[in-house]
Amino acid sequence: MSRPKGFLVLGRAVAVPVSRVSAVTGLVLVVLVLAACVATLSLGRLGIPLADLAGALTGGAEGKTAFVLERLRGPRLVVGAGTGAALGLSGALFQTVTRNPLGSPDVIGLAAGAGAGAAAVALLLPGAVPVPLGALAGAVLAVTLVYVSTGTGFRNAGRLIVAGIGVSAIAVAFIQYVVYAVERDKATVLTAYVNGSLSARSWEHAATIWIVLLVVTPFAAAIAGRLGLAELGDETAAMLGAEPGRTRTAAVALSVVLSAAAVAVAGPIAFIALTAPQIARRLTRGTGPHLMLSALTGALLLVLADLAAQQLPLPGSLPVGIYTLALGGLYLGYLLIREWKKGTL
Amino acid sequence: MSTTATGETSSGLGARNVTVSYGGDPVVRDVSLDIPQGELTMIIGPNGCGKSTLVKALARIMKPDHGQILLHGRDLWSYRGRQAARHVALLPQNPVAPDGITVRGLVRRGRYPHHTLLRQWSPDDDAAIGFALDRTGLSDLAEAQAARLSGGQRQRAWIAMVLAQQTDLLLLDEPTTFLDIAHQYDLLELCRELHHEGRTIVTVLHDLNQAARFASHLIVMKDGRVVTQGPPTQVLTTDLVAEVFGLACDIMPDPRTATPMVIPHGSLPDDAR
Repeated sequence: MSRPKGFLVLGRAVAVPVSRVSAVTGLVLVVLVLAACVATLSLGRLGIPLADLAGALTGGAEGKTAFVLERLRGPRLVVGAGTGAALGLSGALFQTVTRNPLGSPDVIGLAAGAGAGAAAVALLLPGAVPVPLGALAGAVLAVTLVYVSTGTGFRNAGRLIVAGIGVSAIAVAFIQYVVYAVERDKATVLTAYVNGSLSARSWEHAATIWIVLLVVTPFAAAIAGRLGLAELGDETAAMLGAEPGRTRTAAVALSVVLSAAAVAVAGPIAFIALTAPQIARRLTRGTGPHLMLSALTGALLLVLADLAAQQLPLPGSLPVGIYTLALGGLYLGYLLIREWKKGTL
Repeated sequence: MSTTATGETSSGLGARNVTVSYGGDPVVRDVSLDIPQGELTMIIGPNGCGKSTLVKALARIMKPDHGQILLHGRDLWSYRGRQAARHVALLPQNPVAPDGITVRGLVRRGRYPHHTLLRQWSPDDDAAIGFALDRTGLSDLAEAQAARLSGGQRQRAWIAMVLAQQTDLLLLDEPTTFLDIAHQYDLLELCRELHHEGRTIVTVLHDLNQAARFASHLIVMKDGRVVTQGPPTQVLTTDLVAEVFGLACDIMPDPRTATPMVIPHGSLPDDAR
């Protein structure tokens, strides 16, 4: 049997397309994520010195080092990496379905809806319903509202974005109402549900996001090929037997679950889902949904943003959501300039 | 193999009392037909007569509201998607080439029906892709970006994709629409060559003279129904063109090929159609 180029072959039963540039990009991203993790654990006044890090990670942490690793930065880092990956994957799925970089969960109100659901169950019904379920219900409600109110489903990008802005605004208003009704003067609570934050995360949060990620990823990988065919247009995909309608429904469902899980553990962190798939696409210049590379890019972006949130000498330790918001603003500016130069704006 | 209404051997693909709509009024009404084996069938008819919708139903893109599409005696919708796509390929009117895709990448997509979830490559792929590129004259452009091709080359790249699918039946929905006249004839010649090699082809076409020259079997549609079908010399008459297209014309043998040639006079008033 000849060995096909650009495929990962295992025996006679498995041959999946992995281009060389994707494999190299993936490896580089993994190294960068690991480097960002090491920096997160070791930088700053409370950082674990590099020399002690290996020992601490293999179980030899005591005293201050143990506190930093097991309580202060460890869970936060693990939640951050998992949330970033979930957001990147969620964004890649949704953008492929809508065929539009702006058709991503954070722009069309899905994340804000999840935030509203999380705020509702955490503040209005504390203890009665698990927060992730509230986030999921909010995300499903938001995505249903957007789908219905466009009148054309997810097909028309312009309508999708307008409907998303509307649903987002309603969701944020609802969050503000709930927070002010219940907590009155706690700005940090509001921030956590509107912008997203990684401060004071626990290992429970880490378990939630990573379990969802590990469950969803195989399903996402299974539909990746069919999502790639949907890029040829619905009719071509249908005649090739790729069932575009069912594939889209599955992709949206997986994206909603990932976004809801991310919001449940870290709040609606903006723009990771929007930018990570676009960066992954530009890194490889290839076709297809780039699911795994988007997940890695998302993890890298969020870990870096949180590193900045922890280490930049700004007053009042800002939540990570503010940094990703700034990152997203820069990216939108770049998009505007590019479109303006191309003369399409 | 069964026999069609007009006496040819059936290719195994056919419609039984098929009605298709886009939610409102039916576009295809109660159509029954068999696609004849080994013929170059062309479907003609005025705008909105349902010819594109009929081929979409035949290729499992649109599900009929009533009736059945049969593939070798079984309902087409009882096949799995990929299984049906190993028998019937359709090049739709507006396929989309994704950003950054190469010609080879595009043609490779046609191999999807032959793959499985874990085995997205088969040893036949290289041969099928090579054959498709060769037949469409694109071997030298295999690594080129699809977006950089000329209109004629791009349409051949799409034909290569459906050729790589290696189906017994090849359906083409108005494949000449965006091509200049020379490239239209190039493409029709390619259809004819494939037909002479024994492949069964169905093409939706607008130009009556091209259809009359290249088709070995014509299906004429109007208002969602099949008006008549058969060899072009029998089917194309002045009465038929007046009735179906509302066009007064003379029909005489094409001096080069002796196939019927339509020379229009002008459209008829509505009550004369």
